[in-house]
Amino acid sequence: MSTTTSHRTDRRVVEARLGNRLASALSSQTLSHDVGERLRVAREQALSRARDVRRVAPAAAGASVVAVSARGAAVLGGFVPWWQRAASMLPLVVLVAGLVAIDQFTMREQVMTAADIDAQLLSDDLPPAAYSDPGFAEFLRNGPAP
Amino acid sequence: MATDKELSDFLKSIEKRAFKRTVYAVRSDDAALDIVQDAMIRLAEKYADRPPAELPLVFQRILSNATMDWFRREKVRGAVMQNLSDFEGSDGEEFDLLETLHALEDTMGTESASDAVSRAQILQIIDQQVAELPARQREAFLLRYWEEFDVSETAAVMGCSEGSVKTHCSRAVHALAKALKAKGIST
Repeated sequence: MSTTTSHRTDRRVVEARLGNRLASALSSQTLSHDVGERLRVAREQALSRARDVRRVAPAAAGASVVAVSARGAAVLGGFVPWWQRAASMLPLVVLVAGLVAIDQFTMREQVMTAADIDAQLLSDDLPPAAYSDPGFAEFLRNGPAP
Repeated sequence: MATDKELSDFLKSIEKRAFKRTVYAVRSDDAALDIVQDAMIRLAEKYADRPPAELPLVFQRILSNATMDWFRREKVRGAVMQNLSDFEGSDGEEFDLLETLHALEDTMGTESASDAVSRAQILQIIDQQVAELPARQREAFLLRYWEEFDVSETAAVMGCSEGSVKTHCSRAVHALAKALKAKGIST
């Protein structure tokens, strides 16, 4: 058992040494001048791009801080206090409350109108059943007979 | 955050290996140069603010992705998948790796004129044999032994398990040793 484990370990060590040796052989190869130049140009382009990104990043961060302080809203990433998060929900809460109030008001208006009509009908001299009489309906359409 | 100099030194240190690794994958110097340039720019644009110690791993992932993007663009994905699934190794064949190791150490460690010639020949043979390895084995071998990543880092770059990395590396070393032995490089 221990012989097998030791054999495996030895084999891994030899594999690793051979792997390193082969890889170091690859490292000793040289590239053509043309390839080396193109790699240098690629590197310089990448560095130039990194410089551009670094220049733009602080400016963008500053602009967003100004926007936040002007609007008073917490829209930046990072830590935002709970009361600022709650404050950002305020317009939504006001909107929902307004819609509920409008709905309640409309419903109340409809009920009141129906109640007025009912009250007028009930307090009129004419009984409500008269409106279901065909002769009375004809009278209402054509007026009194001459 | 990596400074300009740190980023420049890092890119300088990896550009040759990145180029060779990509050439092995795409078999074209021009395409490999484009891919390496693309990977360098992606690193600079998105990860230049990372600490220098993180750059090697991030760059290798970007390079792998850029290479895969190239394959997708070239619409040769079928060929790649064929290579990726080619896991035939030499596990059944037991031969003495030490022979190849000793032969390499004897030849590569000496500096006489005649040895310099055979050394160049051996370098060329190793280069060819690495290029002929199945893609996943070559990837694991290069990351592990050339980029000197540990097993877990190699697994992270390749998106596979550590066990797979060990298997790929072992098979790659055996395949290379066998190929070198077939070319007469052994003691």
